[in-house]
Amino acid sequence: MLSPDINDYQLTSIITECSDGGAVVYSALYKPNNTKVAIKRYFVDRGKEKATLIQQDVLTRKELHHANILPYLASFVHGRELYVVSPLMSFGSCRDILDRYFPEGISELACAIVLRDVLQALQYLHKQLYIHRSVRASHVLIGANGVARLSGLRTAASMMVRGQRQRKLHLLPPPDHDNANLMWLSPEVLEQNLKGYDERSDIYSFGVLCCELANGAVPFAEVPTTLMFTEKVKGSRPQLLDCSTFPEPCLEDNEMKSMYNTDSGVGDSADAVSRLRQVYATRKLSETFHQLTDVTLQRDPEKRHSASQLLNHAFFKQIRRADFLPGLIGRAKPIKPDPDYMTALSIQEQLSEMVIEKSTEWDF
Amino acid sequence: MDPRMCRKISSSESLPDGDNVEYEISNVIAAQESDDNFMLDGSPELHSVTWLDDEQIEDLDLNLEQTNLCFHRVDSADIIYRSRKKKCKMVGKYVMGDVLGEGSYGKVKEMLDSQSLCRRAVKILKKRKLRRIPNGEQNVQREIQLLRILRHKNVIELVDVIYNDEKQKMYLVMEFCVGVLQDMLESSPGKKFPQRQAHDYFLQLLDGLDYLHGQGVVHKDIKPGNLLLTLDQTLKITDFGVAEALDMFSQEDICYTGQGSPAFQPPEIANGAEQFSGTKVDIWSSGVTLYNMTTGRYPFEGDNVYRLLEAISRGPPAPPPASVGPALSALLVHMLNRDPTLRPTVHEIRRHAWVQATPPFEPGEKLVNPRSRRSDELHTSTVIPYLVERHYASAQEYFTERDLRQGLGDGGSRTMSTAELSDGGSGQHKRRWHSSCGRLPSCRLT
Repeated sequence: MLSPDINDYQLTSIITECSDGGAVVYSALYKPNNTKVAIKRYFVDRGKEKATLIQQDVLTRKELHHANILPYLASFVHGRELYVVSPLMSFGSCRDILDRYFPEGISELACAIVLRDVLQALQYLHKQLYIHRSVRASHVLIGANGVARLSGLRTAASMMVRGQRQRKLHLLPPPDHDNANLMWLSPEVLEQNLKGYDERSDIYSFGVLCCELANGAVPFAEVPTTLMFTEKVKGSRPQLLDCSTFPEPCLEDNEMKSMYNTDSGVGDSADAVSRLRQVYATRKLSETFHQLTDVTLQRDPEKRHSASQLLNHAFFKQIRRADFLPGLIGRAKPIKPDPDYMTALSIQEQLSEMVIEKSTEWDF
Repeated sequence: MDPRMCRKISSSESLPDGDNVEYEISNVIAAQESDDNFMLDGSPELHSVTWLDDEQIEDLDLNLEQTNLCFHRVDSADIIYRSRKKKCKMVGKYVMGDVLGEGSYGKVKEMLDSQSLCRRAVKILKKRKLRRIPNGEQNVQREIQLLRILRHKNVIELVDVIYNDEKQKMYLVMEFCVGVLQDMLESSPGKKFPQRQAHDYFLQLLDGLDYLHGQGVVHKDIKPGNLLLTLDQTLKITDFGVAEALDMFSQEDICYTGQGSPAFQPPEIANGAEQFSGTKVDIWSSGVTLYNMTTGRYPFEGDNVYRLLEAISRGPPAPPPASVGPALSALLVHMLNRDPTLRPTVHEIRRHAWVQATPPFEPGEKLVNPRSRRSDELHTSTVIPYLVERHYASAQEYFTERDLRQGLGDGGSRTMSTAELSDGGSGQHKRRWHSSCGRLPSCRLT
């Protein structure tokens, strides 16, 4: 645990603004022992995010201890804002890495390493009777050592309700500001019927994450929310895009464009779209990767494998001890102290009035 | 022959407005039982098409024996169906679903928030209908005002209010619930719940009441008909039409009017008292509710409202049957005390022995589930077919009997119902389910 005193921290740069302006994430130095940390500063008054959700996030993380779950180091109130301190994850979120450096997706081996870490986190969470309900690339953070950690626990739900173990949950997770989270949710979560859902809905989201990491774009990103819903309900399954699954180039260019552009806007130009098409149509992903994705995206939750079962999947056999994630995503640059920002900070004490550009999506 | 086809009739005599049409095939009627998705349509090239709804067809069947039957041979290609349009209708950002229930004020329908995909229920109020109900408009205004402030797990949440001046309609968008305790009681054996289940609901009712009374709100119409259940079995107190916000600066909880349901009214209201304690009215009604949930009976009965009120105002309540046990019996008697000042408060009830200990399930007792809708015990969203219509609009609006038979021949022997859609149904030829898959290259169909 770190000290809950703002004076022990030296802010070094702004990483991102998140939760629709309700919070800002900074990188900082913890002065007593010179460690790098990330500080999320919530504007509780201004925030659209409910205070109870922030509380839920902190309480859940306090309870959980696993190498692949973003730990909680400290939290305190200073002025009118709430600060939550976590270790600094130098490479940011997988969504950032995709948006900035890999619009076509990261390599299969890099996917395997990240996905294995995520599965270990899920295995632990499920054993603790938690359902994460928000497994997505922006909630998978990569540290300097290449280890992936799962964040975003404010939407996690415990299967223990009023001291009783529930077999199923029924309600949608609390909505995020733009309802983007729905794209990762399983059909049974979206259906909201008496059948309910359990931890296997996380496995479905994990399958969507597989596609997101490998394809660069999130499945269903460019279709209306209600169509995404009916597609999932009728059992249409997202796929990894390679020469075996990518359709013949029969679609018109503008249609392609709308389908494959990513959140960052990369791919808006026709050039980028045709480049993406080229990449998908010429690459070949392993059969085991396709199998893994397929088994996790089953419409019937009973047919999906558990996190423990998936960890033994042949897909992960390709990882060798020497494989080092930062080497595999060489293009991605770690977050560094920003000298300009530190100068600005010393001149301008009023942080809250600074204009922050939304450039990344590091969502705790 | 497919059983659904057994209903085909081609007798002109049996048709209401068919006069001397012996030779015409215009009055071909076919009904498909257990099938919501198709509607019969007369063949467009024939004249004097007769449109019948299910009830009329039913009537025809009943009259079959008396009528002079005359069957024509009709080619299956001449019987033309039109797919029934589940026309997708939007109100604001909400997609309309099917009717969930009907009250005196108007219909309650299911809706889906097209942005958050959250299921909702909407109370549709027509100004014209409201005017006809005594205090109708006032009650609705009061309900909206109260619900806007109230926020509690066991009180129904008013999510949105939409006005349509043109149609003179008002839409009260609420949390979605799967059932009303009243309906569940009616469909359960002995019209009662196992004590374990009643206990669970009663505790939640107490939590809701405690909150309401703490907020200075008296409900005045607590009864199983106003207690709803969500998907996760959370009880929600609803219908604040006759509720009253107490004077915040008064120490007392004096009320002057009571408009609740007669069977749940306390003696002071039945006697026509000019003023009475508001919170103790809710305690009495909750007592009657608990009595009803656990015994299947009412503490007071009467052939008509007058007799009923007379019974309440005069006599003591019928003692609860011995089978409920001494603890519950004592609680009921305490709550149904004729003297409001002697009735317990919510806090006193919480400390009662029956409330403190969770009763076990007796042998043979089973949890009563929310009553299932026709062929769908999972209470699947009724909005899905409308969304299907919107996103996969069938290019083939008209199709013939022959098409249908051929379609049935290979694969699906039934048409799709909402419940089946969720099984990822395939092989449905008439629904253009797959038409969009070309637009979603990153997806595969199961």
